[in-house]
Amino acid sequence: MLIRLIVRAAILALLFVQPLAAQTAPPTESNLKGSGYFRDQDTLPGSYRLYLQQPSKLDWLSSVGPVQEKVKKSSFTTDAHEGVANYSPRRQCTECHTNHSRDLHVSRMEVRCTQCHRDTPIAGIYHYYSAMNPIRRHAYVCAKCHEGATPSFASYVVHEPNPLAMETRESFPALFYATWFMVILAGGVLAFFVPLAVLWGLREFISVVRGRFSHGS
Amino acid sequence: MAAEAKRLKRFSIAQRLWHLALVVIFFLMGITGLAWMYIETGWGRMLAAPFGGWQGALEWHRIAGLVLLALFALHILYSLMQIEWRHPFRWLAGPDSLMMQFGDVKGFFQHLGWIFGLREHPRYDRWSWYEKFDYWAVWWGFMIVGVTGLVLYNPVLSSDYMPGWLINVALWIHRIEALMAMVHIFTVHFYLEHFRPKALPFNAAMFDGTIPMSEAEEAHGAWVDRLEMEGKLEAHLVPEPPVALRIAYFIGGYALIALGIFLLVFAFANVAAVSLF
Repeated sequence: MLIRLIVRAAILALLFVQPLAAQTAPPTESNLKGSGYFRDQDTLPGSYRLYLQQPSKLDWLSSVGPVQEKVKKSSFTTDAHEGVANYSPRRQCTECHTNHSRDLHVSRMEVRCTQCHRDTPIAGIYHYYSAMNPIRRHAYVCAKCHEGATPSFASYVVHEPNPLAMETRESFPALFYATWFMVILAGGVLAFFVPLAVLWGLREFISVVRGRFSHGS
Repeated sequence: MAAEAKRLKRFSIAQRLWHLALVVIFFLMGITGLAWMYIETGWGRMLAAPFGGWQGALEWHRIAGLVLLALFALHILYSLMQIEWRHPFRWLAGPDSLMMQFGDVKGFFQHLGWIFGLREHPRYDRWSWYEKFDYWAVWWGFMIVGVTGLVLYNPVLSSDYMPGWLINVALWIHRIEALMAMVHIFTVHFYLEHFRPKALPFNAAMFDGTIPMSEAEEAHGAWVDRLEMEGKLEAHLVPEPPVALRIAYFIGGYALIALGIFLLVFAFANVAAVSLF
């Protein structure tokens, strides 16, 4: 009898204590990883990483990867343009989204906005059922052209920022530093060799004009 | 002192073939790469047309890249075979090696001094510092363009092994390194090798493998002295290459120089018309 009572009390305690603990405990990376379900953190605006997967050796890389600084509230709505006063589905997307008109997908492949963002009403990219939602973006959007696309593949930044702009240092550090490194390397090599070649040519020209080579052979 | 008509053998047939393969593949990759980068412009589409549009150009670019990497791997084996393995370190530090040595730093500063009229022209051995730099620049370029090229070869596959956003990064590194290589080759390399007052009108050393004795004594005096001391000079003297071949090198060379400058000029003229990000 007593044992039964203890067991019941323990079960009751577990039932009550567990959810309470779950509610009050701050969300950690481990309880977000691989859940596949949305939590408050996923549906509310805020700063967090898009792809939380199994830990891997490359995890340190994410600290220099693209960062979603601020997510608009409309990104979680069924109709992202709800309440936008001058919005009309007849207008060109790029009239307002001006910085999205020169992406490689558009400029080279002539991919139209609605091929990825779907037809009106265009759902926010984090809306639970949106095809663009990161949990299914790779399969529902990327894989239409890129067969076998994975969530990792989908972390390619389609609307790439200007890699040399100072804002990119915050939003995509790896792109910013890698591009600047290459620009400085390329600029350095040319800044060294172009003047050298010009001066060298001038010096040789003088030698030729004088009709002798300067080491006196 | 060798007679004026005599020429000194400077490059082996293997070395000339490496260079020729590099020339052909470099131009092929440059054209197909620029075709893809500039595909929004009429110029880009014109470059892609001989390959059957951008799909064909990209396919050629990828295949040429693989061939180049395979040749590079072969070149590493070839270079290892050049080392005298009985005393490798002494050989690597010796004058026949392309390894950068302290003497090259001295050579560079003496060269600089000569440019400003302060010192005599350095008497280089077999390889001058700038020839060594040119050689190693290809290595470092291959490392950068090759690794990023492999990442970009199949982005879906490579994103299995790294975050997909590294493809954004790889593309920029690939582009800038490739553009720098083209600018450097089509301006500095072409100028120093062919249009310097002493090199005019065309320096075919890398194509026919020989240089005139007078030029050898001016540009590689220490090497000529060393060959003479070692009694190897006679073995290095070769007759003039046939006139037909020299005409072919001249015409082929100028065609490629013109092609390089054409690519460079139109790439700069059209740069505002392309979307780079």
